[in-house]
Amino acid sequence: MRASDLIILAIRNLLRRKTRTVLTVLGVVIGTASIVVMMSLGLGMSRSMVELYQSFGSLTTISVYSYGTDDNTKEITDETVRSFARLPHVEASSPLLQVDVEARSGSAEGYITLYGVSQEYLQQIELGSGRLPAPDQAELELVYGNMAPRMFYKSSRSGERNYGDGEILVDPMKDTIFYVFPEGSAAQARGGSGASSQASSAGSSAPSRKKYMLPAVGMVKGGPEDYNEFSWDVYCDIDTLKTFLKKIYKKNLVPYPRTNKKGKPVNYYVYNQAYIFVDKMENVSLVQQQVSDMGYQANSNMQWLEQSQQTMKMVEAVLGGIGAVSLLVAAIGIVNTMMMSIYERTREIGIMKVLGCDMNDIRNLFLTESGAIGFLGGVTGLLASCGVSALINRLAGSIEQGLGPVISSGGGISYIPPWLGAFSVLFAIGIGTVAGYIPAKRAMRLSPLAAIRNE
Amino acid sequence: MSSDKTKPVISVRDLKKIYKIGTNRIHALDGISFDVRRGEFLAITGTSGSGKSTCLNMLAGLEQPSSGQITILGKRIDRMNEHELVAFRREHVGFIFQSYNLIASMNAEENVAMPLVFRGVPREERRAAAHKYMKLIGILDQAGHMPAQMSGGQQQRVGIARALVIDPDIMFADEPTGNLDSATTSEVLDLLRRIVREQGKTLIMVTHDAGIASAADRQIRFMDGRITEIIESRTEAADDTEATDDTEGCIGAAGESV
Repeated sequence: MRASDLIILAIRNLLRRKTRTVLTVLGVVIGTASIVVMMSLGLGMSRSMVELYQSFGSLTTISVYSYGTDDNTKEITDETVRSFARLPHVEASSPLLQVDVEARSGSAEGYITLYGVSQEYLQQIELGSGRLPAPDQAELELVYGNMAPRMFYKSSRSGERNYGDGEILVDPMKDTIFYVFPEGSAAQARGGSGASSQASSAGSSAPSRKKYMLPAVGMVKGGPEDYNEFSWDVYCDIDTLKTFLKKIYKKNLVPYPRTNKKGKPVNYYVYNQAYIFVDKMENVSLVQQQVSDMGYQANSNMQWLEQSQQTMKMVEAVLGGIGAVSLLVAAIGIVNTMMMSIYERTREIGIMKVLGCDMNDIRNLFLTESGAIGFLGGVTGLLASCGVSALINRLAGSIEQGLGPVISSGGGISYIPPWLGAFSVLFAIGIGTVAGYIPAKRAMRLSPLAAIRNE
Repeated sequence: MSSDKTKPVISVRDLKKIYKIGTNRIHALDGISFDVRRGEFLAITGTSGSGKSTCLNMLAGLEQPSSGQITILGKRIDRMNEHELVAFRREHVGFIFQSYNLIASMNAEENVAMPLVFRGVPREERRAAAHKYMKLIGILDQAGHMPAQMSGGQQQRVGIARALVIDPDIMFADEPTGNLDSATTSEVLDLLRRIVREQGKTLIMVTHDAGIASAADRQIRFMDGRITEIIESRTEAADDTEATDDTEGCIGAAGESV
């Protein structure tokens, strides 16, 4: 039997019993819609969770730390940073060279940390104005975090710090800011104070120290209240920073260099922190594991997200399960309809067998009929759930507006991705076909003698 | 039985069918043997419960015999499984039912073409074949009618066209006139005889009515699962006019109608 004839015959059979077909399809519609709507809620929730985590920082970035000072702690050097970049799935890596400086602009002052990072890192920063520092320049150019200006204060006579009471005291893009770099451990060693003390802030600034005027070339996007991961810091190109520091600290390279066993400063850069940029979210935990295995402390936002995602998966499964119950009921409805249909059509099936209809064709006819019920129900159910989903988002949207910016779920709390739509229709067809299997088998085995019997 | 020039189309040897009802064993067929020649119109007669319907069902492969051999067109159909039997019917057998058994949701043309659907014949070819046989039987004007819109005689003609449409070697008819009035009965019998003559088909008809059976070339009479009598009601040379008179006389006596 040809497939086209099979489908036409199946549709004609369904049309013969319109009311029953419509009612059975309705069951599948409700079943499909409840699964899709339930799952869309779960997916919407996990999507807004991902968005929330993304606001904390890139989900494909891994931070690597090395803060210990004992011999067991592995140092992060330029060589290690390069070796991170060679790991599979890693797009780039960047060391983080930090220098605490004192900044002054007019009567305002503040303590600022300069972060020397690679160009790849700088590319991640979304700028509100200006440009990014170019690589390896003669002059040290800075990018200011949108909230960093809030670190400037004015000292009163009694020594109290006035941070401006919400007023921004310094505009890095317009105002001239002078920076004073710390004396460093070498100077202290010369002065006889002994071991390096990293805790020493540049508080007791000697008047002899040189002031540098450094231009701010860009500002991170956002107002002084909009937090993102780059908001509080000041960034510059690492190579330019290295060159700049060499001029001040000569062989020491940095203000507080590590020392070797003999107590002499090492002649290479040692970083407290480095960043690894991974190509895809899925590969983050793999790369993170490899970095941990190399003996470094590593963490990423992805790691926290994954934990939350596991919880979300459970929630999705529970929601989907609730929806699945109604589809199960619909499947039983299909079985019932097909069974009824077989009892009614016993004679007709017998005739078909006497006239030479292959038994597999009879089975396929019934499977096609029940599959068609699943298909109709699936498509209609999907359309219905798109409507319900839109309605939920609209209602949720109006509630959200009332609550203000406390809850923010970008694309709404119900989200139907294309794969869910395709999956639901295929699933409904599958359920229909499976539900039709036992009735179809029964039809196939019916005796042709039923056709001979005269009633 | 006469020794034929040609090989028999159907050959039945020592056919038995035993039904078990409770502890009782009922011999529906108790050792039947006969042959059917090619192009023959054979009637199987007998009262109800004589085993004639059981015999037909087994010839058509609708029931499994308990023992014995059935050879049709050189094939042992008693050894076939259900799939093979269906395939065999699809290729070689046309079937005419007492209650017509047309599909109510299909019009006459679709009913006639239905066995070709099972063969996977394309739609246009099916239409052509259905038209050819409906024209032959004289119901082409009914092509678009639904079974419910047709008289019993017209429905049975559709049934006959449906049996013919696959151009079968053998046709089985189970009480084909059982639901028809006497006038229509004789028309349908004429038609069946004409088909056997003109199309060269082998037709095996089951009937309880001796009068109707006499329209056949040969009658086999069953009683209690055994053959009691074989009547050669006409010779090969018998002419049609004589046969028709013969039949009509018999029907008048039988006088069964719906």
